[in-house]
Amino acid sequence: MAIENMAYLIPILPALAFVLTFFLGKKLPRGGAIIPIIAIFTSFVISLMITLNLLQNPEEVVSQSYNWFSILNVGILIDPLAAVMLSMVTFVSLLIHIYAVGYMSHDKGQPRYFAETALFTAAMLGVILSDNILQFFICWELVGLCSYLLIGFWFEKPSAASAAKKAFLTTRVGDVMFLAGIILLFSDIFRIFNGSIPEGVYVLRFNEIFSHIPEIAALNTQILGYQVSHLTLITLLFFGGAVGKSGQFPLHVWLPDAMEGPTTVSALIHAATMVTAGVYLVARTFPMFIAAPQSLLVVAYLGAFTALFAATMGLVMNDIKRVLAFSTISQLGYMMLGLGMGAVIGVTAVGDSLFHLINHAFFKALLFLCAGSVIHAIGTQDIRQMGGVRKVMPITFATMLIASLALAGFGIPGTSIGVSGFFSKDPIIEAAYLFGESTENWFPYVFAITAALLTSIYIFRLIFMTFTGKPRTDYGGHESPSVMTIPLMILGILALIFGALTKTSFGKFLEETFTNNFVNVDIHALAEIGKYHLASHGGEGEPLLILWMPVIVAVAGLLISYLIYGMRVIDMSKVVSRKNPLYKLLYNRYYQNAIYTQFLAVKVVYEGLALAGRAIDRGFDWLINFIGNIFTDASDGLRQLQTGVVQNYATSVVTGVSLLIILVKLILEVF
Amino acid sequence: MIPLFYYLALSAIIFSIGLFGFMTQKSGIRMLMCVELMLNAANINLVAFSSYNGDLTGQVFALYSIALAAAEAAIGFAILMSIYRVRDMINLDKLNILRW
Repeated sequence: MAIENMAYLIPILPALAFVLTFFLGKKLPRGGAIIPIIAIFTSFVISLMITLNLLQNPEEVVSQSYNWFSILNVGILIDPLAAVMLSMVTFVSLLIHIYAVGYMSHDKGQPRYFAETALFTAAMLGVILSDNILQFFICWELVGLCSYLLIGFWFEKPSAASAAKKAFLTTRVGDVMFLAGIILLFSDIFRIFNGSIPEGVYVLRFNEIFSHIPEIAALNTQILGYQVSHLTLITLLFFGGAVGKSGQFPLHVWLPDAMEGPTTVSALIHAATMVTAGVYLVARTFPMFIAAPQSLLVVAYLGAFTALFAATMGLVMNDIKRVLAFSTISQLGYMMLGLGMGAVIGVTAVGDSLFHLINHAFFKALLFLCAGSVIHAIGTQDIRQMGGVRKVMPITFATMLIASLALAGFGIPGTSIGVSGFFSKDPIIEAAYLFGESTENWFPYVFAITAALLTSIYIFRLIFMTFTGKPRTDYGGHESPSVMTIPLMILGILALIFGALTKTSFGKFLEETFTNNFVNVDIHALAEIGKYHLASHGGEGEPLLILWMPVIVAVAGLLISYLIYGMRVIDMSKVVSRKNPLYKLLYNRYYQNAIYTQFLAVKVVYEGLALAGRAIDRGFDWLINFIGNIFTDASDGLRQLQTGVVQNYATSVVTGVSLLIILVKLILEVF
Repeated sequence: MIPLFYYLALSAIIFSIGLFGFMTQKSGIRMLMCVELMLNAANINLVAFSSYNGDLTGQVFALYSIALAAAEAAIGFAILMSIYRVRDMINLDKLNILRW
């Protein structure tokens, strides 16, 4: 049996594991963790084998489709894009499940935890495997649900419950936009077909959508006096969904709060997999974006802005997980920026962005797991109370250092020496440089390079504050058990070498995503719709300084951090104080939460919507009471007939029958 | 042979007497007797039509209805007995607790 025929098992197995763990977990040792581990391991093996097959022959993608009803289908699509995501998600999920056996060992809710993470894995794999946008959306929502459940895993803690609610509501804003985009897309394709869909055509399948891009681009709507192409609208709405899910500005506010969940959840969902679903959505619908230049620019600008914006906040956080959360937002910004650079480098952008996504998944999951290891041993998340942890936890320190180097992007340009983050972040920054060169717009490049500097500063601040120096509190602590450290080491090795191993093959592999037996789109022709020309060169033409720039800022960041937090040469106490307005601004996260809660929630929702709702409510109350009163009044009168005296009833019967007889008689005589 | 009309007239007269009695009497036993009268007026009709048409079905039906009437009377009297024990009277005018 060919391995492709087992593709459907990839999401089904974790889903089964969810059911089994949910019902049987309490009776099994360690909350039934073994069930999802076996299921996800099997999924991982299948995914990896399919990926290896696909590597041999990238044009022959796996595509299976079943009729759902009339013009909609459910289906599986494993093209290069999906294959790398599948392998990454199953692999990271597997390691984190193993790690969680140790991390959650003291928790009573283990069966619930493992059931929910298994469900999450199933849903995430569903997102990746979808061959149509509707199935994609359904799994996308399921993923959001799991995220909600797992952030609120310790729901008896009010902060966790409210963080879960916040995450759910904030991502909902994006999801509604995504759904609106799907509806608009559906109605447009319907219009293109003039309402009669031929047999066997599934309108929301990606190949069908992509084949209608020129027609959708030709449809226009007047909005505020501007002619807006439907393609631009749809892609912007899709991107709105991605902004919510991937924590881009201005919907990123939920992600730092999502750290209220167990650290393993943060590593799995809010670093490696779910938050990248937004990037995956844009990559998946990339042919639509490339034909809609304004949307692609929005992606690029918002990505660049988010990368810098989140990095500034990461500088001042004192909670080890919050720093990492802002780092995740910032890195997701890089991925979005990378996709946005499709405006100059075409489909290569997808390869660049996904390469960073995969590398990021490894090193960021590793950072979170290391942080979890520290938290597990020391019992606090505040880095001000740590210090000197390196002596207690050498393995955790070593792996976290590797992950930090990868995040900051250390390496030597032009060679194969470097950590994974170097090989993936560099092309994005270089593409931003190319973008600046060809459009005279240096905004994305400046933001990206500044963010790279800040990234290096905040991550080494974290390292120095946590691991070096003398313990600032009496915390005790010990190295984590091997069930936790072995996943760390595996991820550490990957964070170290994955980039160097795959830096050339990865991009080439992913370029086949849009030219194969499932979809075959001409990116250059689509770019013509967008009315811009793709740059032909890349990588060689830049000045040496540009090639070295990311590394220079990374080293500079390391040095600055070392001087401030390692050597303590520079005294920061003046800067780091509540009196410094800049520090206050950053520490309060640009008051964005305050704006959302004080203004949006209180003024708009409570006072505006609630008042309007109350007026409408009262109107309906009056109407319903009025209708109800008619009937009660009428029945008040009618029930007087029930006298309880038999003779009265008999009288009515006799009168009725007599009248009936007279009526019948009359009718018979008239006709 | 006596024409059909006489039977029907007798039946109508008995039915009217029964109806009149049912609607004017207050005593439960009298009302029950009046119901029996109306029932038997109907029985007379059944038998009369049966012999007029030369079809036995109507007579069988009449027998059936007489048997039912006996059962119904037994239940009716049993209920009246119970009422009498509780209320010490069987004046159905006063038994109007089921009204609105």
